[in-house]
Amino acid sequence: MILAAAALAGSVAVAADEPSPTWEGAVRPILKARCMHCHGEEEPVEGGVDLRLRRFLEREVEGHGPLLVPGDTTRGELLRVIRDGEMPKSGKPVTPEELAVIERWIAAGAVASRPEPESIPPGLYLTEDDREWWAFRPVARPAPPTVANAGWVRNPIDAFVLARLEQAGLSPAPEADRVALLRRVSVDLTGLAPTPEEVDAFLADTSADAYERVVDRLLASAAYGERWGRHWLDVVGYADSNGFAETDSLRPHAWRYRDWVIAALNADMPWDQFIVEQLAGDELAGVTHETTASAVTDPGRVGQLVATAFLRLGPDGTGDSVPDQNLARNQAIAEQIRITTSALLGLTVACAQCHDHRYDPISQADYYRLRAIFEPVYDWQAWRTPAQRTYSLYTPEERAAAADIEARAVAIDDEARALRKRLLDEIFEKEIVKLPEPERGPYRLARDTPEDKRTDEQKALIRKYPSALATYSLDLYDPKLEKQVADKHGEATALRGTKPPERFFMAATEVSGRVPESRVFHRGDHDQPRQAVTPGELAVLATPSIEPFTPTPPASGSSGRRLAYARWLTGGAHPLVPRVLVNRFWMHLFGRGLVATPGDFGRLGERPTHPELLDWLAGEFVAGGWRLKALDRLIVTSATYRQGAGGEAARASDPDNRLLARRTPRRLDAEAFRDTVLQASGRLTAGGGGPPVGIARDPVGRVVVGREEKDANGDVIKVASLGADDFRRSIYVQARRTTPLTLLETFDAPEMTPNCEQRRSTTVAPQSLAMLNDSFVIDAARALAGRVRADAPGDLRGQVRRAWRLLFGAEPSRADIDVAILHVAEQAEDLRSRQPAPAPAAEGQPAPPVADHQLDALASLCQVLLASNRFLYVD
Amino acid sequence: MNHPALCSRRHVLHAGGFSLGTLGLATLLRDDGLLAAPVKPVTEAGEVRFDLLPKVPPRPATARAMISLFMMGGPSQMDLFDPKPALTKHDGQPFPGVIKYDNLAQASAKVFGSPWSFAPRGECGMELSELVPCLAGIADEITLIRSMHSGVNNHGQALYALNAGRVTAGRPTLGAWLSYGLGSESQDLPAYMVLAHPAGLPTFQGEHWTNGWLPSLYQGTLVRPTEPRILNLDPAPLVRGRPQERQLALLERLNTEHLAAHPGEHDLAARVASYALAARMQTAAKEALDISSEPAHVRALYGIDDPATADYGTRCLLARRLVERGVRFVQVLNSGQSWDHHGGILAGLPASCRAVDRPAAALVADLRQRGLLDSTIVHWGGEMGRLPVLQNDAGREKCGRDHNTYGFSQWVAGGGFRRGYVHGATDEWGHHAVENVVHHYDWHATLLHCFGFDHTQLIYKREGLAASLVDGQPARVVHELLG
Repeated sequence: MILAAAALAGSVAVAADEPSPTWEGAVRPILKARCMHCHGEEEPVEGGVDLRLRRFLEREVEGHGPLLVPGDTTRGELLRVIRDGEMPKSGKPVTPEELAVIERWIAAGAVASRPEPESIPPGLYLTEDDREWWAFRPVARPAPPTVANAGWVRNPIDAFVLARLEQAGLSPAPEADRVALLRRVSVDLTGLAPTPEEVDAFLADTSADAYERVVDRLLASAAYGERWGRHWLDVVGYADSNGFAETDSLRPHAWRYRDWVIAALNADMPWDQFIVEQLAGDELAGVTHETTASAVTDPGRVGQLVATAFLRLGPDGTGDSVPDQNLARNQAIAEQIRITTSALLGLTVACAQCHDHRYDPISQADYYRLRAIFEPVYDWQAWRTPAQRTYSLYTPEERAAAADIEARAVAIDDEARALRKRLLDEIFEKEIVKLPEPERGPYRLARDTPEDKRTDEQKALIRKYPSALATYSLDLYDPKLEKQVADKHGEATALRGTKPPERFFMAATEVSGRVPESRVFHRGDHDQPRQAVTPGELAVLATPSIEPFTPTPPASGSSGRRLAYARWLTGGAHPLVPRVLVNRFWMHLFGRGLVATPGDFGRLGERPTHPELLDWLAGEFVAGGWRLKALDRLIVTSATYRQGAGGEAARASDPDNRLLARRTPRRLDAEAFRDTVLQASGRLTAGGGGPPVGIARDPVGRVVVGREEKDANGDVIKVASLGADDFRRSIYVQARRTTPLTLLETFDAPEMTPNCEQRRSTTVAPQSLAMLNDSFVIDAARALAGRVRADAPGDLRGQVRRAWRLLFGAEPSRADIDVAILHVAEQAEDLRSRQPAPAPAAEGQPAPPVADHQLDALASLCQVLLASNRFLYVD
Repeated sequence: MNHPALCSRRHVLHAGGFSLGTLGLATLLRDDGLLAAPVKPVTEAGEVRFDLLPKVPPRPATARAMISLFMMGGPSQMDLFDPKPALTKHDGQPFPGVIKYDNLAQASAKVFGSPWSFAPRGECGMELSELVPCLAGIADEITLIRSMHSGVNNHGQALYALNAGRVTAGRPTLGAWLSYGLGSESQDLPAYMVLAHPAGLPTFQGEHWTNGWLPSLYQGTLVRPTEPRILNLDPAPLVRGRPQERQLALLERLNTEHLAAHPGEHDLAARVASYALAARMQTAAKEALDISSEPAHVRALYGIDDPATADYGTRCLLARRLVERGVRFVQVLNSGQSWDHHGGILAGLPASCRAVDRPAAALVADLRQRGLLDSTIVHWGGEMGRLPVLQNDAGREKCGRDHNTYGFSQWVAGGGFRRGYVHGATDEWGHHAVENVVHHYDWHATLLHCFGFDHTQLIYKREGLAASLVDGQPARVVHELLG
C-alpha cells in the first residue's frame, strides 16, 4: 500500500507541467462531497477534524500528527486514511482520480488561492464557489456576439443562437412556410388555431411587416391572457379545491384569482407589479384581516387583495376533517413555500425543510428565514381556515342595507314564532278540557314546566295524554293554521331575498399587530422547535455588498415582510427571479427552456444551453419594464423562432434540439387540444370568467363537463348539459385536484400536487383510444361535419376543403381530396346498407329521426382529420 | 432454462373479433417480413428501427417478462427482512457507529430494536418478520437480497437509481429499456404497463414509467386504478367494424405522409404505432383487464374479497393476466411514498404490509402454478431502506426510521433467480451492506442478463454516444443470485 502510494506520488511529480489543482476549484469540492458532512458541516465535528477551510488543515490530528505536509505526498493523515480506505467511513469512496488531484495539489504546495476568514460559524459554510454558481451571479447583459451569417439575424436572440450553431458547424433551418408559421404563433400566443379567414388575410398580405402585425393582433386578443394565464396557473398550482384531505373540498371563490391573472396578462401588467401584488397585495392595499372591508369600494385595491390568493393556492386541509390539525397547518405552509420558491426562485428550497440542502448551498436556517417572511400570514398557532380567509365584497352601503333588511326579517320571524305559540296555546285550551277535571291543573303545570325540569310524575302525566300537549306539530293539529305561520316565515325569507347579493373573494392577510415568532423546526417537525430566526433571504444570495431587504411595517398594521421581500425580488438586482421567469417564457414558446429544468437552477438542474442569451433576455426583460408582451413579441419575431422543421442531419446530431437549428414539432397540450377541437367544430364559447364550469362523473366513470343527474340510489344516470358553458375554454372548467377532466388528464394535464413547473407530453394508446372512441371527439367531429356542410351545401369537395382549412389552416392536395371523398362515399354506402329502413311511426307518435348517412360519413372523415398528427402537432 | 415460448409467441394478426382488414396491414406485413428473418438485435451497428415487434436477445435468456411491485418510500428492512438481534439487545442505547442521516442536523442516535419478531420460514429457513406472513409461505421460491446499496439518500435520486439505472432524472426506466430491447410479445397490448393505486400516483408521478430520451414508443401506459381500467375501448355503434377499419386506414395514410415530411421525429412515429395498437386493444385490453372470469379460488388466493387486500390483489392478478398475454413489463405502484415511515411506524408499517403481503405472495404462487414463474421475474422492493436508529424520538406514536440507502433489502422470484436463497448481509446493525453488496447497477446488470443482454451492449445511440441503462457505472452481473 505504501509502495503504491509512493508510486502514485511519483507520477504526480512527472506531471508537473500540468496546471496544479486549486483548493477552491478542485480539492475542496472533493472533500465536501466525500468527507465534509462529518468533518465540518455536522455537529459534533468528527475527531475534531474540520475540513471546511484550507487553514483548518494546518491542525494536527490528535495522536496522529499533521493532516497534511505541503509538498510531501508521502506524509500526512489526510492521504493516509484515504489510501488505506479508512475514510470515508460511509458513502462513496474517494476515487483514484480524485486522490490524484489531492496529491497533485499537496505536491504543488497545498495553497489556497483566495484569502480565507479567520474563523467561520458552525454548519454549512458558503464558499466563493457557492456564491459564484452561475445562477447566483448577478445578471450580466452581454453584448450579442458577432456571427458570420449576419443576414440571418433578425434580432439579438438570433445572434446568440447562431453563434452557437456556427461553433458547432450547423446552419439554422429555413423559415417555416407561412401557414405553418401562422398556426404555430397563433397556438403559442393564444392556444387557438388561426381561422381560414386569418390564414387568407396573412397569405394575401405581402407587406414586409405582415407577420409582425399578426403577432400584434394575437398579443392584443383576449385569448392571449387565457393561454399565458394557464401557464402561470400551472406554476402556482391553481385549483378550485383544497386538496390534502380525501374530501378535496371546494374553493368556491378561487376563480377570482384566475380571472385576475388573465386580466393582468391581457393588460400587460408589468411582472414586477404582477409579482408584488400576488405576494403582498394586502400590504399594498393597506389592509389587514380586520380591515379588508375598507378596500372593497376601490377596484384597484380589490384587485391587489384578490392577487394575494396566490398565497392561498397550495393544498390546505385545515378546513376539512383531518387527523392532525397542527400537522395539516404546517403542511399547508410547507406546500405554499414549495410553490412560491419553485415559481420565483427556481430552486428546490423545499428540500431544506428538514435538513440542510444536500446539493445546493441552502441551509435549514435559510428555509426557516424564508418561512418567517410568510408566517404573519400563516400563524400555525393561531390558524385561520380557508373559510376564515374569505372576505365579503359588500360595500358599506350594501352592508347597511343588508343589516336593515335582516333586522326586519328577524322581527317577522319573531312574529311568526309568537303566532305559532298563540295558536298552539289555543289548541291546548281546547284539548285540556278533554282531561278529567282533577288532572287538568297538574297537566297545565307540567306543560308550562321546561322539558328538562319536569318531574317523573309530570312526564308520566304527559305520556298519559300526549295529544293534549300541543307544544309542537301545529301542522298535525291543523294544517291551515300551520300555513299561516309558514306564510309569515315566508315573508321573512322573501324579504331576505331582497338583500344585495353578497360576493366573496379569498385573500392572504395578516392579523393586525400580530407577528408570531419563527423558529427552526428540528427535522421539520413543528413539535420540535429550535432556535429563533428572523426573516431573510437565502444566505448565498445575501452577499456582504447586497442587503436584500428590510421589512418596514406599514401603518395598516401588517409586518411589511412580504412587501419588502417582493420588492427585493422584483427590484432588478435579484439574480434568480428574472432568469427563472424568462426561461419559463422561452420554454412555453420552444417546448424546452434554455435551462431544461425550469424549477431547478441548482446543482442537480441542467446548465443553460445558451447562458449569455438567458442573461441577455433577463436583462432585456427587466430593462424593458418587466413587460411580457414585449418579450413574447421579441422571441416570436426572431429568426430562431420562425425556423422550419429542418433536415434529418440536424435531428441526428442534436436530437433534443438544444442548439435550436430547427423547430421541433410539439403536440397540442391538453387545453389547447380541447379548445382547438371545440373551435374547429364551431362550438367554442368565447370569453368567460366567473365561477368555473361544472364537472360531473358520467356513468362510464369519466369526468366530463356537465351536471350529474342521479337516480334514487344516488347513482349517476346521466350528465346533463350546461348549454353554452359545455364549450368554454378549458381554463374556465372547474379544476378539482382529485377529479381532473378525464380528457385533459389523458392528454397530460398535470396533477396539482402542489404545482407543476414543467409538463410532460406523452404518446400513449389511451390518447389514441380517446381519439377513436371518446364521445367528446365523436360529437366534435359530427359538429364539424355539420359546420362544413352548412358552409358548402351540396359540394362535397368544398366541404372537404373547408374541413382541411379549419383544422390545418392549409388547403388539401388533389390527392387528399380524392381519398377524402372516397372515404365519405364508402362510409355512407356502408352505413346505408347496414341500417334498415326506419319503421313507420306509431300512431300519434312523432316520426323517428331519419338517419343522415351523409352527415355520419362526413363526420367519420372529420374524426380522422382530428385524430391525425397534422392536427395534433404544431410544426 | 429457456422458456419454450420465448420469442415464439405471435398472435399478431387475428386478435379477438377485430379483424384488421386493410388497417395497418402494410405495417404488419412489413413487420411480418422482418419476423421471418431473425430480428436484428439492437446491439448491432446499422440502422436501428423503433418498433415493438418481439426481438431475439443476443444471448440465451431465462426471463421474458417482469412484474415490478415497486414500494416507493423505502420499506424498513430490519422490521421485515433483515433480523438484527443487536438492535433488540441495545434498544434505546446510543448507536455506537457513524450514522448517515438524511438530516444533517442532530437526529436521534438511539438504537431502535424491531418491535416485530422474526422466525425461520420455509425449508430454506430464511428468517422473515411476522409482518409478512404470506411471504413466509413462498420463502422457498424467492431470493432475498439483504445487501442492496445505492448510496444516495433522497427519494427522487434513489428512485431514479433503482428504477432507471442512475441517480439523475430524465433517464429511461427499466421497463422502457426492456420494451426497446425486446419489443412486446403481444401486438395487442402495450409492451409496458403501469397499474396505479386508487389513492393517487407515487410522488414522482410519470418518472416511474418514462421513456426518458428513448423514443416515446417505449414509455409505459398507465392503467386507471378503478373500472374502467382503460377508457374508450368500445367503438361507437355507428363505426364498429368496417367503418372504423376504414377510418384507421385513412388515418394511417395521412399520418404516414405527415411523418415523411418530418423524418426522424420519433414522437410522430410513436403515435402512428399507437393508433394501430389502440385499434387492437379495443378487444384485447378489455379481455385482459376483465377478471370476472377468474374463479373464486383465484380471487381468494389474491385476497380480492378482503377489503384490506382487494385493491392490491386485483392489481396483482391483473399483472399476471397481462404478462400471460405477452406484456413485457408491468409495474404495480403505491401512492405517494407510502413506505416512507419517518414517523408513526408502529401503526403505519403493519398497515402497509397488510395491503400487499397476501397479493404479492399469491402472485408468485399463481405464476408458479401456471408454469409462468420460470420465465417471469417478480420483484418486490423500493428505492431505499431505513436506519437502525429511532427517528422522531417524541413518543411511541410518532417515532419512525430515517432513510438508509447504504444497506437495504428486496426480494425477487422467478425468471432465473435462485429459490429459497438469501444473498448478502448488512452489518450487525442493518446499517451498511457489508457482504456481497449489490449496487443498483449490479441489480440492473443482472436483470438484463436474465433477459439475454450484456448490460454494456444494450445501447441507444444518442448524440454520437452509446447510452445504456447502467451508463458508466462499474456494474457486474451477480451470478450468485441466479441458478
